Amino acid sequence: MLTNLCACLSDNMRKILTITCFLTASFIAAAQDSSSFNKEQQLSEIVITATRSERKIGNVAVPVQVVSQKIIRQTGSLRLQEILQEQTGLVIVNSTLGSALNGYPNPFGQGVQLLGLDPAYTLILIDGEPLTGRNGGILKLGRLSTGNIKQVEIVKGPSSSLYGSEAMAGVINIITEAPQKENALVQVNHSTNNTWGTGLSYGNRFHKTGMQFFINRYASSGYDLDKTIYGKTADPFREWNGQLKITHDFSNKLQLLASARQFDSHQDNNYQIFWQSQPAVAKGYTTEKDQSGFVQLRWQMKSEQKLYGRLFYDRYRNNSFVDLDKTSTRFDETTFNQSILKPELQFESKHNENRYVAGLGSYFEMIEASRYAGKRKVTTLYAFTQKEWSLLHDKLTLIAGGRIDKRTDFSTKLSPRIAAAYKPNANWKFTASAGWGFKAPDFRHLYLNFYNSQIGYSLIGSKELATQLQLLQQQSLLQPGADISPYLNNTDLLPENSFGTHLGAKFTNQKWIVETGLFRNDIRNLIDRFSLPFARSNGQPVFSYHNIGKVFTQGAELDVKYRLSKYFTLSAGYQFLDAKDKDVVQEIKAGKLYKRDLTTFATTVVKPADYFGLFNRSRHTANAKIQYENTATGLTVYARAIYRGQFGFTDANGNNIADDPSEMVKSFWLINLAVTKTITKKFSVQAGTENLFNYTNPARMSNIAGRLFFLNASYSFVNKHSKSIN
Amino acid sequence: MKKNILFAAVATTVFFVSCSKKDTTPVVVAPTVKTKSITVNFSQTSSFTFFSFRDTTVIANADSATAKWDFALRLTTFLVNSNASGPGNAGAILLDGVYSSISEAPVTGYAYDTTSSQRAIKDGSWYNYNPTTHSFVPKAGKVFMFRTADGHYAKMELLDVNYEPFVGPTPQRLVYRFQYTYQPNSSNKF
Repeated sequence: MLTNLCACLSDNMRKILTITCFLTASFIAAAQDSSSFNKEQQLSEIVITATRSERKIGNVAVPVQVVSQKIIRQTGSLRLQEILQEQTGLVIVNSTLGSALNGYPNPFGQGVQLLGLDPAYTLILIDGEPLTGRNGGILKLGRLSTGNIKQVEIVKGPSSSLYGSEAMAGVINIITEAPQKENALVQVNHSTNNTWGTGLSYGNRFHKTGMQFFINRYASSGYDLDKTIYGKTADPFREWNGQLKITHDFSNKLQLLASARQFDSHQDNNYQIFWQSQPAVAKGYTTEKDQSGFVQLRWQMKSEQKLYGRLFYDRYRNNSFVDLDKTSTRFDETTFNQSILKPELQFESKHNENRYVAGLGSYFEMIEASRYAGKRKVTTLYAFTQKEWSLLHDKLTLIAGGRIDKRTDFSTKLSPRIAAAYKPNANWKFTASAGWGFKAPDFRHLYLNFYNSQIGYSLIGSKELATQLQLLQQQSLLQPGADISPYLNNTDLLPENSFGTHLGAKFTNQKWIVETGLFRNDIRNLIDRFSLPFARSNGQPVFSYHNIGKVFTQGAELDVKYRLSKYFTLSAGYQFLDAKDKDVVQEIKAGKLYKRDLTTFATTVVKPADYFGLFNRSRHTANAKIQYENTATGLTVYARAIYRGQFGFTDANGNNIADDPSEMVKSFWLINLAVTKTITKKFSVQAGTENLFNYTNPARMSNIAGRLFFLNASYSFVNKHSKSIN
Repeated sequence: MKKNILFAAVATTVFFVSCSKKDTTPVVVAPTVKTKSITVNFSQTSSFTFFSFRDTTVIANADSATAKWDFALRLTTFLVNSNASGPGNAGAILLDGVYSSISEAPVTGYAYDTTSSQRAIKDGSWYNYNPTTHSFVPKAGKVFMFRTADGHYAKMELLDVNYEPFVGPTPQRLVYRFQYTYQPNSSNKF
């Protein structure tokens, strides 16, 4: 019976099933003397992102996932990206722009796909403040180091009600170490490709002042997946990350937090181009610098009332150039400067178990870049409020809240959210939430003025379109007789909108944590590129942006954690995702979408079953983890398997959708393993591998280096006797 | 080479299908069924490539001002031999559908090259441009219905558009591969 069933399933499903079978078998074979999860601890973990105030995770009504420092350290990874991709429902994806540039890596880097939405729709915060430097919608997550992270909180579902634009798919908040007790960490890491990482972290408190310091250097010689192409797939780089946090208690009621963060990177550029019809080598480098400062005053007005005043400033710079190797003439140069100033006030109160949070602030953003016409500024004013009621003897929690955003160039945007959690007993928790999210058009959609000199096309932001078209026409750079009049009073782009719902259930007992969820997001006014009905005088298209798309993403996720014995914990996660373009679905239904057979060139009608869904989305993603922890011997083993099901990569058969096997990236596994041995209480060594089976795909997934081995040594301590705050 | 054989196979199959059709409907004269590759200039300052369905061949540049050709191509710009582009009576309609199942050409509704900026076939209407690979992929299911320069009917489908191998930053030529059915008598049926 089971064999028959298995035979009907696809290879991928069979693999998943095999793993599930294996895990189930392991559960059944589990020893009876196993100890239990520390349930109290599991439920009382403090999270802040879901409600913008410190709450126990067990009491939060919206879906939130936490990755703890312990887990981060056990993976042995020095980069956050590696750890995020091991979490259920988080998929690390390449930018859809330029995802395969002739064997060179994607210059835009990788980001997190959450609930099937592109990385541009997930807000990334560090200690509650935004991370800047999005390039083509993606924040390079590779730049985040793990050494000073206390925990990572992942809130799934529209969170614009508290966080505004960008928080359409969710929020990832990286909480860094705070000086609560004296702590120190020295890390040295060496891995394949001549990769070296060193980190130093120290924190302490002196009377009423606390200090936490972190510095990390990470450098690699890069890797080469295709020797036939000149240059390396990933060029050598070195990065520095630093952070300094200072806290000071003026009194019991007034506390100051000041922090400064700096990221500095240098990456070589070295590739082949064509210059005057001859192959030539272009060399140069890219520097990236992100500096931020943050000041917060916390005033405990009454025992149940708090007021926060915050000021955040960030400056991001990215400069890149290449020179022709032989003549040292400048071949290409780009600059990108962005700065943000964000003052904010937040009020929190608690009455019995009913809570209230409200705030207001503004967001001043400035961009100056070589691909934009001049310096551009926008200002956003916002206010948010959220009320939380505790009913039925704390069994039921209700949340209602909303945020209002007014950006100078857009009409007022309102983003409400409601959520409920019901806890009938200590084991079960049911949640339901619904919210509206939005993403304002970003600078590139509005102000980009880009001309591709190699091919000759133009890409112009919506606000620049009228001026640039007039200019092009005056300079006779447009096709003769082109009618530009419809674009001179171009209607503004609208923000992209979403409505999302999530239903969840969580079961916790001594041995099990089982969490499951169903989600659906409907997105309107997606901004997409289009080509104008006339060309440049060289015949090449002129592109701009418009609101066009309607897409949905829906799916289910399951996360299971099982304490097998005193030493072993097993966990597995799975996400099913269905993400489609509604217009495409309609067209297929109407029999109006066609495909071309790539060998016979015969045209046929696309059937509903042919449509795989939006590019870059895997229908199935999964992970399985085995954790062995023996405190007596100081040995920890952490093995993880990450599965990414096949996904659409590019169109090949003439219909701009993923519907042919040749357009897909085949499913793959990444197996990561780390073994940690504590030598003394403070000193430990770690060895491991990432991508054990050496999965590579140079053409379509050039961001994945082959198999890596690593060795870590770390010295760390926490002085439990030192004075702690709170 | 393999592809050429395939093309031949496709062409033959289509031809045989047409033959059997001819047996059942003897009034229809066997149309010309062809798969052709033509080379087209990339640069907008270079000359167009002119094609005649009747002659199944590229027409010399010297004859560009005659009604000998039906359509012309340069990069992705189509001309049809009419008004602003030539002395012919050619027109075009871009239909959505499965090429093989279109058995009749419309008699009216053809668009002409009214002016040099208002052409029968709008640039960008029939391909998807991929900015990563810079390729122009013909949209599947786009069938070009032609009334030829001399008033006959033809249907045409683009199969493939590729750059001719080139050295340097800019391509010189594109190779267009297409199949077409041309009705040599006055019938609008294929």
